[in-house]
Amino acid sequence: MPGPDGTGLPGRLVVEDWDALTFRVNRVAYRSEEVFQAERDRIWARTWLYLGHETEVATPNDFKTRTLGGRPLIFCRDADGDIQAWLNSCPHRGTILCREREGSTKLFQCFYHAWTFRNSGDVAAIPGKDAYEAAGEGFLDSMRLRAVPRLESHEGFVFVSFDPDVPPLLEYLGDAADYMTMISQQHEAGMEVLPGTQMYGVRGNWKLGVENAMDGYHFSPTHNTFVGYLRETGFAVTDDDQYAYNLGNGHSLLVLTGHGGRISMLWEPRFGEDEKVRTEAHRAEMDRRLGPERARYVADESHILFVWPNLLLFDLEGLSIRQLEPVAADRTDVRAWQLAPRGEDADTRALRMKTMVSFVGPGGLATPDDIEAYEAVQRGIEATAADTRPGMDYSDMSRGMVDEVKGVQGRSIDEGAMRGFWRHWVDALGVEDGLAVSGDRPERFLEGRNVR
Amino acid sequence: MTALIGGREITRADVEDFLYDEAEILDAWKYDDWLALFEPGARFEVPATDWKGESFFESGSFVTDDWDLLRARVKRLKSRKAHAENPPSRTHRMISNVRLREADEPGLLRVTASFIVHRARDGEFDAYVGRYDHLLVPGDEGLRFRRRRAVLGHEHLTAGARLSFIL
Ligand code: FES
Ligand SMILES: [Fe+2]
Repeated sequence: MPGPDGTGLPGRLVVEDWDALTFRVNRVAYRSEEVFQAERDRIWARTWLYLGHETEVATPNDFKTRTLGGRPLIFCRDADGDIQAWLNSCPHRGTILCREREGSTKLFQCFYHAWTFRNSGDVAAIPGKDAYEAAGEGFLDSMRLRAVPRLESHEGFVFVSFDPDVPPLLEYLGDAADYMTMISQQHEAGMEVLPGTQMYGVRGNWKLGVENAMDGYHFSPTHNTFVGYLRETGFAVTDDDQYAYNLGNGHSLLVLTGHGGRISMLWEPRFGEDEKVRTEAHRAEMDRRLGPERARYVADESHILFVWPNLLLFDLEGLSIRQLEPVAADRTDVRAWQLAPRGEDADTRALRMKTMVSFVGPGGLATPDDIEAYEAVQRGIEATAADTRPGMDYSDMSRGMVDEVKGVQGRSIDEGAMRGFWRHWVDALGVEDGLAVSGDRPERFLEGRNVR
Repeated sequence: MTALIGGREITRADVEDFLYDEAEILDAWKYDDWLALFEPGARFEVPATDWKGESFFESGSFVTDDWDLLRARVKRLKSRKAHAENPPSRTHRMISNVRLREADEPGLLRVTASFIVHRARDGEFDAYVGRYDHLLVPGDEGLRFRRRRAVLGHEHLTAGARLSFIL
C-alpha cells in the first residue's frame, strides 16, 4: 500500500490518542523490508552512528573492521595517532581492502591488484603506476582511501556519519552527552574497552531490542529466575522510585536505583566483604574528586542510556556497551563490549566480569530471556499481518500516559521512553501522515533532567 | 592413549565414556545429574569468539560461571520461568577427536575434543561447532570437571544463537 508521499510506506505508523490515552505502533514497522530499507536510507545513512571506543584502537596502527549500517568499515588509529574511519573497500575496483577482523598495520594492501594505502588514507604504491601517469597529476590523489564523511568522538565514544551535513556531535548528543561524561568520571584512571566481544545475531527487528532495553515493565516477569537469584544473594530488587526520561533527538534514559549494586561504587552482599572495603575507599575518593552531589549521580544510580539509533550503554553493576546493527527487517547483529576502569585490581575485575557476563550477555542468566522476548514478538506479530480489522496490527505502548497528562514524571516501568523513541523514529522516517495524533497532547512533555 | 594421574590409569575410552554420558545427560535435560559431574568449586566457561587468551578476567565472554553461578544456572534451567528454555531446546550432541593432554597442575587431566551441538527450537535448526578444553579430576566415582570450557569455532554467534542451553 503506497503511502501518500509515494514512498511505498503506509501512513499511521504511530497512532497516539490523548482522549483514549493510547499509543499504538503499527507492526509493519517490525516486519516490512520496505520500512527496513527506508530506515537504511533515512536513519542509518543520515545520522550519527556509534562506531566504537577509542581504547579499542589504543595505539597507533591498531585497527578493527566493523560493518555499520550495512557498510564495511576500517576503524583505526593512524601512524600519527589520529582516529580514522575508512570505507573498507578498495578505491580501485571495490574489493574489501582489509579482510582481518583486527590487528596492527601501517599499510593496507588490497590483494586483488596489490594497491597499497597508508592508514592515513594516502596511496602508498600502485604496481605499474607509469600506466596511470599519463592520466595526469590528480590520479593518485583521486585514489585515496574513502573516508566516512564525518567522525567525532565524545569521552572516547567514536561516532561517524555517512551524511556530511549532520550537526556537531555534541549538539546531536544533547542531554545524552553528560551521561557519557558520567561514565568517564567513574574512575580517576579512566575507562577502557576490554578484549573479548560478545558478537551475536538475533532473529528480531532492531527496534525490539531498543524497546526491551527501555522497558522496566518486563523486568520482573521476564527475568523471574534472575530476580530469584538476586534475592537469594541478599538483594531485594525493587521498581519503586525509578524513572524514564526522553532526552531529545531520539535518545532516552532509564534511571535505576533498585536493581543491583555497582561494582566499586555501590555495594551489595553478593559482591563480598573485600569488595565492601574497596568500595568505601573508592567512593570516598569520588566524593573528593567530583563533589558529593555529582558523585551521587555518577556512583549511586544505574543508567541504561540509549543513544539514537544504534548505541545502548548498560551502566549497571559494571558497564557494557551494546551496538545494534540491523541486517534485515527481522534480523539484528549485536556486538557488546565490557568497559572497565584502567588498572583495576584483579579481584575487582574478576568480580566485574562474572557479574556483568552473568546478567548482560547472550550466555548469561537474564539476556537470553530478553532475546527470547524479541524473537517471540517477531514471530507473534505474524498473526495480525494484513489483518484488515481496525487497530489489529498494532502494538500498545500506552502505559504511563495517565501520569503524563498529569505532568507526573514517567516511571521506568512505564512506556514513556518507548513513546519518545517511536515519535523520533516516525519523524526521522519522514513519512507523511506517519504519525496520527488525536486529542490534546499535554502542553509540556517531561524531557531531560538536571544532573550537573 | 593413556594418562597416569595420581597413580590412576585413565584411558581415552574412559574419557570418551565420560563425555558421551555427559552428552546424553544434557540432551535429556537432566540438570542435577549434569551438576553432579562437577567437583564443588568448579567453573564453566564459554569464551567470546574473538578471544585468544586464557584469563576471562581480562576479557568479555559468553559464560564465566564460578561455582555459585553454575549452581544458579542449573537452578534457573530447571525452572519453568527460564523462558528462553521453556519449552527447552532439543539438542543433539556429537563429540569426536578426543585427546588426553598434560595439564599444568599435577593430579589434573586436560582433555580436548571437538563438538557439534545441533539445536532445534522455534522452527529453526542451528549448529554450534567448537572444541572442548576441559580440566578433569579423576576420583573414586570417576572423572569430574574442575573446569568445563567450550570454545566456539564460529566467528560470531549467528542469528538465533543465544546460549540459553548448555554448550
Ligand atoms: S581492486 Fe584493489 S587493487 Fe584492484
Ligand atoms: Fe531484560
